[in-house]
Amino acid sequence: MLGLAKGLSYTLKTLVGKKVTLKYPDEPIIMPDRFRGIQHFDPEKCIVCNQCARICPTQCIDLTGKKPDDPEKKGKVINTYDINFEICILCDLCTEVCPTEAIVMTNNFELASFSRDELFKDMKWLHENNTNVRKEQH
Amino acid sequence: MSQFLAQPLGWGTGLIFALSAVVLLGVVLGFVTYAIYFERKVVGWVQFRHGPTRTGPLGLLQTVADVLKLLLKEDIIPALADKPLFVLAPLIAFVPSFAVLATLPFTESIHFADLGIGLLYYIAVSGITTLGSLCGAWAANNKYSIIGGMRAAAQMISYEIPLIMSLVGVILMTGSLNLIDIVNKQAEMGMWFFIPQILGFGIFIIASLAELSRTPFDIVEAESELVAGHMTEYSGFRYAFFMLAEYVYVFGMASITTLVFLGGWLPPFEFLGFIPGIVWFILKFSFMVFFYMWLRATFPRMRADQLMQLGWKVLLPLSLVNIFVTALLKELL
Amino acid sequence: MGTITTEEMMLNMGPQHPSTHGVLRLVVTLDGETIKAVDPVIGYLHRGTEKLAEDLNYTQIIPYTDRMDYLAAMLGNYNIVHCVETALGLEIPERAEYIRVIAMELQRIASHLVWWGTYLMDIGATTPFLVAFRDRETILNFFNELSGARLTYNYMRVGGVKWDVPPGWVERVGEFVQYMKKELASYHQLVTGNEIFLKRVIGVGAYTAEQAINYGLTGVTLRCTGVKWDLRRDEPYSIYDRFEFDVPTATEGDCWARYRLRMEEIVQSLRIVEQAVAQFPNDGDFMAKVPRVIRPPAGECYTRMESSKGELGTYIYSEGKDKPYRLKFRRPSFVNLSILPEILKGENMANTVAILGSIDIVLGEVDA
Repeated sequence: MLGLAKGLSYTLKTLVGKKVTLKYPDEPIIMPDRFRGIQHFDPEKCIVCNQCARICPTQCIDLTGKKPDDPEKKGKVINTYDINFEICILCDLCTEVCPTEAIVMTNNFELASFSRDELFKDMKWLHENNTNVRKEQH
Repeated sequence: MSQFLAQPLGWGTGLIFALSAVVLLGVVLGFVTYAIYFERKVVGWVQFRHGPTRTGPLGLLQTVADVLKLLLKEDIIPALADKPLFVLAPLIAFVPSFAVLATLPFTESIHFADLGIGLLYYIAVSGITTLGSLCGAWAANNKYSIIGGMRAAAQMISYEIPLIMSLVGVILMTGSLNLIDIVNKQAEMGMWFFIPQILGFGIFIIASLAELSRTPFDIVEAESELVAGHMTEYSGFRYAFFMLAEYVYVFGMASITTLVFLGGWLPPFEFLGFIPGIVWFILKFSFMVFFYMWLRATFPRMRADQLMQLGWKVLLPLSLVNIFVTALLKELL
Repeated sequence: MGTITTEEMMLNMGPQHPSTHGVLRLVVTLDGETIKAVDPVIGYLHRGTEKLAEDLNYTQIIPYTDRMDYLAAMLGNYNIVHCVETALGLEIPERAEYIRVIAMELQRIASHLVWWGTYLMDIGATTPFLVAFRDRETILNFFNELSGARLTYNYMRVGGVKWDVPPGWVERVGEFVQYMKKELASYHQLVTGNEIFLKRVIGVGAYTAEQAINYGLTGVTLRCTGVKWDLRRDEPYSIYDRFEFDVPTATEGDCWARYRLRMEEIVQSLRIVEQAVAQFPNDGDFMAKVPRVIRPPAGECYTRMESSKGELGTYIYSEGKDKPYRLKFRRPSFVNLSILPEILKGENMANTVAILGSIDIVLGEVDA
């Protein structure tokens, strides 16, 4: 009986105690700087080295390059850059290998949508996802 | 109110009687709505949460929304179910739960049937609900349901015995089964029955928890094993009826405990007598309801066979001892 | 007088059932409420991790190990990098080892907390679940600051860890250890002495040390029978030989023994974290010099470690390429589950969940 009474006294204490819940949709959760959210992509910096697409464990990155408009310049510039968030696991490896920090993580994590099509993000969308970009880089 | 109820039955008075029953039903439904709300709040508070807060101010409309959802759901009857029984079972479970309320006096003047055998009537009629659970379990043709139904039947039958036996002590001391007489006897003695009948009170509380199949005796619908017991296949308003019956019994059992052991509408001290009896009744009643919720937020669940052992090997002998001691004391004093 | 005949009933528990902890399916044959036979059916969460790994390089495998035992992803991370490091013969910087040990022991506490909460949920008490999750939340926030994720960390790398600790992190972990030591008292207050709880677990689901060894059980499921076997003590890996801790054992082999041991392991893990925080080196690298492409030498390598569930091992067969020829994980949840049919036989139906819960399985790891 003593054990039962002890438990009851604990629950009576927590009944009036501090609550720990967050008012989530009303007050956004502030994630720490390192948080791995949806990527931000900067086409200017990209050198089309394909490392991100190769390291991706789920093969969710698709990119194509093209010849630069200015024939003087060497190398390639990015043409399309798509991440399929149906299979992206936000493992952070793409940003880790990127030599120019063209692809970086942000703290944004809201991905829920009514249609699967909306999870397929293209270069324009990823470029415009430029808030809360992670400060600490590799 | 007694005189009012004693009027000869005619078209006019019949209508008024029916209306007053509807008023009681309204009160009970209101109680159930807010008991569920309050239960979720209390359990939430205990668990460092706030409980429902978003539907209506302070979440007050949460249960209303939930019930509305249940009513709007598709009425599903499983293909292999025993249809007539499946439809009938929630009614068998609910009707007695409401019928027992007829004998409960809330104060000396606010009451319905002033039955000489009020207490016995309550216990007897409430037993019918088990039949509803069992019918529902059988009709649903689901294995979880049938195990849940069998457990419900075994539990109800086993615990009805100590429940009645624990009340016998009070009945001996009062010499009546009438609930108003029992409260009046407590006024006359100057103390409530939970003091002289402390053993009976303990047994009654445990047995009533089992009768209500609430934690720690909620093995009937032991979620982690049986999904939802006899209600597994029910949905929509039939499910709502089972839930309703359960909470109406909470109303009934809390009232009976208040009346029989906690002095009903009597004030705890003479000098507080200026506060109307109904307030005292509601206070004590609310305490009992809170007590059920408090237990629910704290305790794990007992196992079915341990429950049986507790009922037959501990509570029943103890209640017999209680009767014997009460009878002895009554003779000697 | 006719005789009453009874029939055995076959009951499918799961794959969608509140207390099979995911998608385990138990085909239970019941005689009344007594269990005649149990047949666990697994594979509903099978993702072919081992086969997928043959097509991935060693860095890419790490996020997959997060998703095996998703309640103890740090331990899963360490499991694979430890094996690759052993194969390569890498020297790991001291600072990295300390970060790893702190992360792993916090993870062990978090994993046991989830077990505690869900186990009590199985037994019918709802409050402990939220109590445990409140404190687990603190640990997850630590990991979030450290690695940027709350559940699937992908934090450890071959040769070290992904990031150094953020400023002030180690101190805050130290504070949490002190808090948690005190807070454990309320866990015991709420549950451990509860007579109803004791009735549900004492003497339930008992097996002997011999049975446990024959089934290859490890971790708490083995130690509850009195076998003192903990890889952190008996085959120290990482820097576990620098810490002082006990290996709690019990002899009953029942659910109650397993409950006590897990609670005691939380205390021991707190002790290790406390010592690691005190000894934490002020500077140093958190990453060893590792070749850009990781190619373990041709041959086999097997390493094992003590995860929160038991012995977690990795076997790599390498052909000297950057991808393993064959990878095999020894998953403790899977092995520990194998004893279930034996100990459930003849038990009361209501004990099913109490026994299954006490083994502490994670379906992500069982099915891999």
